[in-house]
Amino acid sequence: MNARTDLGLRTSVIGLATLLSVPLWSQEPPATEPIQPIPSAHDQHLCKVELGERLFNDPRLSADDTVSCARCHRLGEGGADGLPRSIGIRGAQGVINSPTVFNTRFNVAQLWDGRARTLEEQVDDPLHNPAEMDTNWPDVVTKLELDPKYAADFGAIYEEGITPATIRDAIATFERSLTTPNSRFDRWLWGDEEALSEQEREGYDLFKSYGCAACHQGMSVGGNMFQRMGTFGDYFADRGGEIEDVDLGRLNVTGEEEDRYHFKVPSLRLAVRTPPYFHDGNATTLENAIEMMGRYQLGREIPDEHVTAISAFLESLVGEHARLEP
Amino acid sequence: MKAGRIYFIAYALLVVSVAFVIFLFRSQSLDIEQQNRRLELLLQLKQAEDNLDLDVLRATSFLLVQYDPFVTTVQKMRRIKAQFESPDLDPPLGREPDLPGGVAPYLAVLEQKFALLEHLKSKAALVRNGLHFLPLAERELTALNHELGDQISRLLNELYSYNLLPSELDAPSIERRIDEIEAFAEVSLPERSVFDDAIFHTRANLKLMSEMAELRERYMSVPSTPRFNEVYKALTDFYARESDRWGRLNLILLAATLLLFVALGLALRDLYATRIRAERAWRQLRDAVESLSEAFALFASDGRLVLHNRKYVEFYPWLAESLHPGVMLEDIRHRNVEAGAFVSPISAGEDGPVCRSDQPNEDGRSHMEQLTDGRWFLASDTFTSAGELVCVRVDVTETKRRELELRKLDRALEQSPSTIIITDTDGNIEYVNPKFEAATGYSAAEVLQRNPRLLKSGDKSPEEYKELWNTILSGEVWRGQFHNRHKDGSIYWEAASISPVRDAAGKITHFIAVKEDITARKRTENQLRMNAIVFDRTIEGIMVTDANNHIKTVNPAFTRITGYEAAEVIGRNPSILSSGRHDQAFYDAMWDSLRSKGYWNGEIWNRRKDGSVYPQWLSLTAISNTAEEVREYVAVFTDITRRKQDEEKILHQANFDPLTGLPNRSLLKDRLHHALASARQEGWSAALLFVDLERFKWVNDTLGHAVGDELLQQVAERLGSCVREVDTLARFGGDEFVVLLEDVRTADDAAEVAKKLIAAIEPPFDLASREIFMGASIGVTLYPEDSTDANTLLRNADMAMYRAKQAGHNNYAFFTREMNEQVHQRMALERDLRQAIEQEQLAVNYQPIVDISTGEIVAVEALLCWRHPKYGLVAPDRFIPLAEETGLISSIGRWVLLTACSQVSAWRTEGLRLGISVNLSSRQLPLGLSTAQVGEVLERTGLPPGALTLEITEGLMLEGSESTHRWMDEIKALGVGLAVDDFGTGYSSLGYLKRFPMDSIKIDRSFMVGVPEDPGDASLVEAIVAMARSLELEVVAEGVERREHLSFLKRLGCSRAQGNLFSQPVDAQSIPRLARRVLLPSAAPAPEDLASA
Repeated sequence: MNARTDLGLRTSVIGLATLLSVPLWSQEPPATEPIQPIPSAHDQHLCKVELGERLFNDPRLSADDTVSCARCHRLGEGGADGLPRSIGIRGAQGVINSPTVFNTRFNVAQLWDGRARTLEEQVDDPLHNPAEMDTNWPDVVTKLELDPKYAADFGAIYEEGITPATIRDAIATFERSLTTPNSRFDRWLWGDEEALSEQEREGYDLFKSYGCAACHQGMSVGGNMFQRMGTFGDYFADRGGEIEDVDLGRLNVTGEEEDRYHFKVPSLRLAVRTPPYFHDGNATTLENAIEMMGRYQLGREIPDEHVTAISAFLESLVGEHARLEP
Repeated sequence: MKAGRIYFIAYALLVVSVAFVIFLFRSQSLDIEQQNRRLELLLQLKQAEDNLDLDVLRATSFLLVQYDPFVTTVQKMRRIKAQFESPDLDPPLGREPDLPGGVAPYLAVLEQKFALLEHLKSKAALVRNGLHFLPLAERELTALNHELGDQISRLLNELYSYNLLPSELDAPSIERRIDEIEAFAEVSLPERSVFDDAIFHTRANLKLMSEMAELRERYMSVPSTPRFNEVYKALTDFYARESDRWGRLNLILLAATLLLFVALGLALRDLYATRIRAERAWRQLRDAVESLSEAFALFASDGRLVLHNRKYVEFYPWLAESLHPGVMLEDIRHRNVEAGAFVSPISAGEDGPVCRSDQPNEDGRSHMEQLTDGRWFLASDTFTSAGELVCVRVDVTETKRRELELRKLDRALEQSPSTIIITDTDGNIEYVNPKFEAATGYSAAEVLQRNPRLLKSGDKSPEEYKELWNTILSGEVWRGQFHNRHKDGSIYWEAASISPVRDAAGKITHFIAVKEDITARKRTENQLRMNAIVFDRTIEGIMVTDANNHIKTVNPAFTRITGYEAAEVIGRNPSILSSGRHDQAFYDAMWDSLRSKGYWNGEIWNRRKDGSVYPQWLSLTAISNTAEEVREYVAVFTDITRRKQDEEKILHQANFDPLTGLPNRSLLKDRLHHALASARQEGWSAALLFVDLERFKWVNDTLGHAVGDELLQQVAERLGSCVREVDTLARFGGDEFVVLLEDVRTADDAAEVAKKLIAAIEPPFDLASREIFMGASIGVTLYPEDSTDANTLLRNADMAMYRAKQAGHNNYAFFTREMNEQVHQRMALERDLRQAIEQEQLAVNYQPIVDISTGEIVAVEALLCWRHPKYGLVAPDRFIPLAEETGLISSIGRWVLLTACSQVSAWRTEGLRLGISVNLSSRQLPLGLSTAQVGEVLERTGLPPGALTLEITEGLMLEGSESTHRWMDEIKALGVGLAVDDFGTGYSSLGYLKRFPMDSIKIDRSFMVGVPEDPGDASLVEAIVAMARSLELEVVAEGVERREHLSFLKRLGCSRAQGNLFSQPVDAQSIPRLARRVLLPSAAPAPEDLASA
């Protein structure tokens, strides 16, 4: 009863906050720009968000109670873990770079190869992955049911209590709340001319003219489509090393040869915070990544001063979220 | 009944039709809702698809610059799809009978579209990218080479056209055009890379464009619209059929309703006729009820009062206001509660349930109602088959009252704790109560109409019975005791009172006997009487203490054994009896046993009132109450002194020292013999350590024997901790302990133990709440090196101990051969010395003491010498210690004193006014040289006390005991002088000089050797003289042999001197001659002369 009253109160407070946080430059952002501002409110059920955050940080979601979602998606570090490839349960070496968990709600699908259509579906993937959390739903549900606080909180929100579906829902709801509105770039889009420096504006122009914006567009500056890694030139040959299963990308999901080496275009909203880059963590610095993208995706060599300007522009994309600050 | 049947039919019809209508409406409305929802979802899906198609067109024409709308739309469409598949739709669409596959075909083509969409997105992005880049390349190239720029520009235009209108141009022609440009272009180096770049991207773009075009074609040709149309049509057709079916059902419903109303009308007509008949019956019933003598009320099944009579109002007057037809039973119950007229059924007892009318019996049985005004109603509340409640009340107050009265009396008899017998006047039993049955073992049936004499045990005489009968027949109450026989033959005691019962006319009709079993009481009395006798007569001491261990009672044997009267100990703690022989652990164990097991027994040493300690065999028992709390302790003990003594003689006292618990001398010797025997056999070594405590005597003298005893116990404990289990630590006697070490390897092992023992004694002892420092001297002897004989080993160790003692405090010494010889010599000497006095081999010589200022002899010092028949003259330092050890010093000392005093007295009568100094051994005092004896000597010899000076050693003063002090005071009181001999050799201290009443000191001869040359000796002598002067003591310098000594002493102002410079010790005859001369060296003859004289 209490929880519900609490919820009501909080919703109203948030409502008020949302109202106040509408940008003062209420000019409509130009639809012609490939990048669109992130809405300032996440409109998610706050009790679920709170519950989802607890689950997100709870290592009981792994077989030996050591690995939580937050282990590879450190919110304070941009929602990823800074490793080329993540390390899972019992020190298991992961096969792929951990993508940021921020702004994933805008993605066309989840995971590098988009094999999870929704955030809810995505929860099952790391949970069952032997190199990540290596557990199963019955175990997780049993463990959580032993915790009276979970029992009470789930009971207050979901009629059916603790089930795989409600756990998925809570975590996905929390993840949907992880958006980073109000970046300097967004403020610029809303009409605040002072929000960007000259170099950043120049960077944005280059970003568009080089063609980066063809794929990295939308609210998330990426994430809403798939693209082949190595449109010009053979990225994997130049990278060297074996072609691993994960390198096949979306082919693994659709089985279509057309999808070989296709990956979801990553969001660049927090790119400056989440090195290393690419699904294999091959690019260690942002500059490195921009150069390689130019070479393999655009068939162009981007000069250093342009790389610097584009980096500066990418810095302006970082928005705000309470958990984002380290 | 006809009407009933009609009602039933009407009701049944009504129920059926209502249920039918509800069912129809529910299912139909539900269905319509579902229908609408499905159609709406389908339309939404289609609309979203159209949006998607539009966006695809926009994207491939590069009008849409970001793909978020795709994501949003696809997500929305998936959500709608999910709803189709969700179980909320009942039944799921696909399962509808007339619609095989449902919307599935449409949904499937949508998935196809989604897949193509993703590819299109990728492709479109690439194409757009190229189209975006190429103008830049063209501009760059134009700047470098105008002509080339132009060509590329034209090429670009074609490319754009191809992209917008792919049908009019074809890719191969553009391809050819690129080849042409490439072939004709002669590009110099700076432009080359830009040109190549442009050409490369153009080719790539052309390829991508055609791929994109193809993809778009595929996307657009996905047959989603036909599928949609099919599904939509199938769905609407299906719903149309369904509504037709529902329309038919509605018609049926209408018909059924009509039928129902007809039936209802018929039923109502019948109902009216029935009511007329019922009213007539009602009036008849009312008249009948009113004439009843019982109270009557009838309630309808819905609880309304239908009918009641006047009696009912009389019975329940508080209801008069409210009783009118139509009032609810609930209200009446409420009124009843308010009135409080009913006695609560809880107090009813065993009369069967007493209910109130507000709680009708379900089974229709009658029950009792008790009212607070004392009335009792027999109540019957009965339900008729139609559910009506019929209440009937009969007033039974009078009957009830009598019944209760009787019941009460009956219960009193039945439950009486006493046996009750009622007989007729002939003594035949008419009634016995259950207690009688229990007490006698006879059942009531067995004794009814019989005489109570069947219980007789035969202890009462016929006269007594006669007296009983006379008493009760005369109307009196008889009281007495019966000694009766139980049915099982056992005898029991009863106290009885028998009284007559009279009828209303005063005639005796019955006798009633009330009896109580007093067997247990009788038994307890006997038991107590017997216990008291045992308690008083037993030879075992008995003591009872309460839970706090205060003595409650004791028996005469206790007094006999302990010597304490009961009055002396009652209320005190039994610890007054404790001997102190047991440590705390012993008592702790005793209490532990008492607490855990409830008893303890064993031997214990206790102390009698007269202080004597005795052993007793003690049994302690804790007496607990039912709550397991100890109420008292009972101690039963016997004095086992005699038995103990016997045992001890045999075992313990013979072998163990009672104080320390250590083996005593005899057990030690026993063990020593055994040890030596096994050592001999096994070839082992053994060691014997003789330990002597220092200062023990002082402790005993000053702090008392109790403390001394405790000290010995502590010493024994400490020594015990230094030796192994196999070794023997024995108390040899007094303050002497012996340690027997078996199986020692080297002498060093023994030395180690000796060191440990000394170290153990060194720390202070905590005694009588002060710290006392003790020391030990240890003599060590080894088997078989020193001796193989037990007694010899003991003597050796003793001797070595003396050696250690001489060497100073806290020392140990090994026995040596040389010691052995000395021992033999000393033994011989000792034997000779004993004879010396009798055979007059002892003589007293005298050495003059000279006044330095005048040179006159003022006194002589008596010096003992022994002319041994074999060894000649034996020096005093050789035999005096022996005499001291053996105690011979006592008689020798007395002899010297007497001889010297009589000699000096003789000289004084001759006119030589000399003083005499006599040395006292420190051993003489303890050996009994009393002041009385000194006084007696003076008296016998006629010597004035002032002429006698007793020389004592520093050691004596050091011992400084109270008795020594007293002795000195007494000597002073006699008028005899006291001198400290050999001053400076011991612990010269101003302290004792001041404390003791000394007259003079004698500076030891050793200091004079170096005087005056040695500044150390000189300054020491100087200091002694100065000190003595400040204390007003006379100083006598001993060992004055040279003139330099004399002049040095003169300079210091020393008054007297003694030494070879003046005269050696000489015999008595020589003194008068010397005394008449002035012995000052200046005027005196040379020492040689004196010697020859």
